[in-house]
Amino acid sequence: MKPSVESRTPTPVKIIIAGGFGVGKTTAVSSISEITPLRTEAAITTASEDVDRTGHVPEKTTTTVALDFGCITIDDDIKLYLFGTPGQDRFGFMWRDLARGALGALVIVDTRRIDECYPAVDYFEKAGLPFVVAVNLFEGRLSHAVADIRWALAIGDHVPLITFDARAKLSVRDALLTVLRTTLERATSQ
Amino acid sequence: MPDRDVSLLRPYLLTSGRTEPIDRNLEIETQVLTSELGAASYAGLSFERRDIVALCTKTMSVAEVAAILGLHIGVARVLVADLAALGYVVVHRPIAGLAGDPAMIERIIRRLEAIS
Repeated sequence: MKPSVESRTPTPVKIIIAGGFGVGKTTAVSSISEITPLRTEAAITTASEDVDRTGHVPEKTTTTVALDFGCITIDDDIKLYLFGTPGQDRFGFMWRDLARGALGALVIVDTRRIDECYPAVDYFEKAGLPFVVAVNLFEGRLSHAVADIRWALAIGDHVPLITFDARAKLSVRDALLTVLRTTLERATSQ
Repeated sequence: MPDRDVSLLRPYLLTSGRTEPIDRNLEIETQVLTSELGAASYAGLSFERRDIVALCTKTMSVAEVAAILGLHIGVARVLVADLAALGYVVVHRPIAGLAGDPAMIERIIRRLEAIS
C-alpha cells in the first residue's frame, strides 16, 4: 500500500441539524452536502443520573441512535460538517459531543409536531450554543403563524425563527447562513 | 450467553475492553489520515485497524470511518485513537474556540454565500 500523497488536512467545523423524527434533517443535509449523506450509529446508554425536570427518572437502557451527516468543502483549509441528530435523544455522549466545538445549530420544526423540537431547543439554550429555529415548509404551506410558533416554543427574540424548504439547496444554504450570522453576532459581542 | 447480547459485547471485544478512547475527547469530525508508518505497517494490522489504515489514505472524519466501515461511532473513535497513539494515523482535530473567531466565521459565511 502506498503512503498518503495528501500533505494537508482541512480543519473540520460543524453545524448541528436537530429536530424530531421525519422533520427533514436528512433531507436538508442531502440538499446541500457534497457527499451522499452517510449514516452512522451510536450506542446510547441513558444514565440514571439524568433526571428529567418532570421528576421522571429514566430507566438505564441502551439504545442505538442514528446520526446522518454530510459535508461541504469551504476551501482548502476548512471543511464544514453537518450532523443531523434526533432531537428526542438528549442523554448519552452524543449531544455533548456534538455540541462541543459546534459553530451553531439549526433546529428544524414541523409545525404539526412542534413539541418534538423542545428537547433540542432546551439543550442548546442551556449549552449556550447559538441556534436558529427553522420551520420546514412541507408542500410550501405554513400551518401556523410564525409568531405563534415562537410563542409555542418559548424562545426569546434573540433566537432567529425562519422558514425554509429542506429540499431546496439554496434555502438550506440560507438557513445555514442564518445560523452562522447568529454565531458571528455572538462572537463579535463577546 | 444469550444471542441478543452479542451485538452489545462485540464493540468491547474490538476495542480490547476499553470503553473510552485513549483521548476521550476525540471529536467525531476529527480528520484522520494514514501516516507513512501506518501504510508501511498495514500488512501487520488486523481487521478493523487494517480497514481504517487502508481507508484513510484519503483524509476523512471519524464519522465517515464509522459509517463506511459499519462501526458504531464510539468504536470508531476508540480504534482511531488507538491508531493515532501508535502513529499509524495522523489526526487533525477541530481548533478549540473557532466558534468565537469572527474572522473565521466571516470566511465560512463568504464561501457559503458563493454556493449556488
